[in-house]
Amino acid sequence: MGQYLPLITLLVLTGVFGAVSVVVSRVLNPPRPTEAKSSAYESGITDITEPPERFPVRFYLIAMIFIVFDIEIIFFYPFTMVYSELGWYGVIAIVIFSAAVFESFLYLISNGALDWGPARISRRSVIASDPDRTSTTTVRRVGADGRAFALDGEES
Amino acid sequence: MFGLPTQDEPIPFDELPLDDPLLFDEPAGVVIPDIEWSAIAPNLILMLGGILLLTVVSLVRGRTPSWFSAVWTISTAVFAGVTLVPLWQRVQDDGAESVMAGAIGLDGFSLFVTGVMCLSVVLGALLLEGYLRREGLAGPEWYVLLLLSASGGVTMASANDLIVMFIGLEILSVAVYVMAAMHSKRVSSQEAGLKYFVLGAFSSAFLLYGIAMVYGATGTTNLVGIQQFLSETVLTQNGLLLAGFAFMLVGFGFKVGAVPFHNWTPDVYQGAPSPVVAYMASGVKVAGFAGMIRVFVVTFGPTYGADWRPMVYALAMLSLVVGSFGAIVQTDVKRMLAYSSISHGGFILVAVAANSEAGTAAALFYLLVYTFMIAGSFGIVTIMGRTGDGLHALSDYRGLSKARPGLALLFTVFLLAQAGVPFTGGFLAKFYVINSSVSQGQYVLALIAMSAAVVAAFLYLRIVVAMYFDGNTYRGESATLAGPKVRIPAAAGVALGIAVVGTLWLGILPGQMTSVAGDAVAQLVAIGP
Repeated sequence: MGQYLPLITLLVLTGVFGAVSVVVSRVLNPPRPTEAKSSAYESGITDITEPPERFPVRFYLIAMIFIVFDIEIIFFYPFTMVYSELGWYGVIAIVIFSAAVFESFLYLISNGALDWGPARISRRSVIASDPDRTSTTTVRRVGADGRAFALDGEES
Repeated sequence: MFGLPTQDEPIPFDELPLDDPLLFDEPAGVVIPDIEWSAIAPNLILMLGGILLLTVVSLVRGRTPSWFSAVWTISTAVFAGVTLVPLWQRVQDDGAESVMAGAIGLDGFSLFVTGVMCLSVVLGALLLEGYLRREGLAGPEWYVLLLLSASGGVTMASANDLIVMFIGLEILSVAVYVMAAMHSKRVSSQEAGLKYFVLGAFSSAFLLYGIAMVYGATGTTNLVGIQQFLSETVLTQNGLLLAGFAFMLVGFGFKVGAVPFHNWTPDVYQGAPSPVVAYMASGVKVAGFAGMIRVFVVTFGPTYGADWRPMVYALAMLSLVVGSFGAIVQTDVKRMLAYSSISHGGFILVAVAANSEAGTAAALFYLLVYTFMIAGSFGIVTIMGRTGDGLHALSDYRGLSKARPGLALLFTVFLLAQAGVPFTGGFLAKFYVINSSVSQGQYVLALIAMSAAVVAAFLYLRIVVAMYFDGNTYRGESATLAGPKVRIPAAAGVALGIAVVGTLWLGILPGQMTSVAGDAVAQLVAIGP
């Protein structure tokens, strides 16, 4: 059991450290929340709309490209240490490996991971280009039910 | 806690297997393994097919015709299936082998499972084609993931080493996690993907714990080495080994959806895109059971069978009961089929618990029949979900017999086959399983399996009744099929045709396939000189 003593000591120390941190933070900085403190922003206008659900996260794709090359490097490094012993076998294996990893880079590029320009308008809106549009075709009528009076020029 | 295994007598130095390259690396120089590419040709073809498909589509950037990816995938899977034939001949003539420095086992079992995986890829790709067009989600990624996932499944089924098996399992699973979440227009699909991912990662960790413990107890991750070690050594303390069994069983139990590790199954099957569920229910389960049989029956079976059999026995019993009864109370057809797949998993576990060659053959035959049945059933669900993949309530099937009599008839065949009606593959599959169980003296389990089959039959008949019931008397509602018109894409029609032919062929003329399944023996062979 003696060989596990350092592990157990570490485990106990971790627990003690966590407990002490929580207690000390409570004692030195007692939580007294106010409405202003717990809001997301303490200044500026309060946001009344939910943020849109989807927004472009371009750095995500850049991070993916980074990971592609990161993985490649991680495997290249030990290979360079022993390549003379591995001989042609190692060369072929590493070529297969890099081709497979590089392939994902190719896919990322073709999916526009590095196209940073403004988004192109690939298709014009049908409504905007319709020459026949009038205020009656584009403005959505919500109906006059429940209103005190009908709008001018409209039959309710 | 569990003690480390100790031996009564230390092994004398000159008896240590120092010349075994798997156990001890030569410090001076690297042992270059003998790579025999032809032995893993089916796996290579599936994997390269996926990678090449992605490359081609990336290079031409969307200028491929819409059918290109599906046709590529199907031809890749068929090609991989064709390469199985010479390998099968070789194994039958010269016996099983270990290739790739003992990491891959080339035996009838792995080849049979590879064939079933190829089949489920073909059926899955056929179903995906029309589905993606209908849902406006067309893209090569689905097919690439399908091929890569199948390659992982094949790796898992043919692994002769626990680490290789784990890598195969991860390749298989990660691709399916993504596919489950890839219906970007349905929130439930993303929910399913996340649930599957979290629980799947959890179960992988369990499996890895188990592998680590078995490694600690036996000193090797190579299945051949483990089997030899266990047959030559008597452990005075086997707590670590048994804990390893338990953890690995939890990991595999999650993958095959065995009760009590089944809770993800209904939610994921309900939320994930229907063709992906068809693949998940067939391919992923096949690979999971293949791994389980390889580790438990083949490796641990001869020496420690008595220790793990009660655990699998309990899993099988619970899966049968919970799967059958859970399905009855569902009102969503996808959830019903999910529970019924749990019950099917219970049947296969009965065959695993038999811990015999007959049991393995019965499990393989069951998996083959199951692939046809379940891919067909979920194929119908794919078509019936209609645009949005959302019409899966039992009431959405009411009146199908009048609107689409052919579709209703096909679904009836698949459901009756799942219930185990004679002249369908399902009957013989259940028969062989129960036979193998009884021959090992598991009478109680066999009885429970048969009763569960009766209970499950009620569920299948409930769907059939919903399709054929005369609606004028059914709660005063008319029997016309509600919702948009049902369209059957040509490719999905082909998939349904293959599935129904397979289901009936295995029920009427099973002789050929049962002998093949009987020949598909799993063996562990040490690497030759």
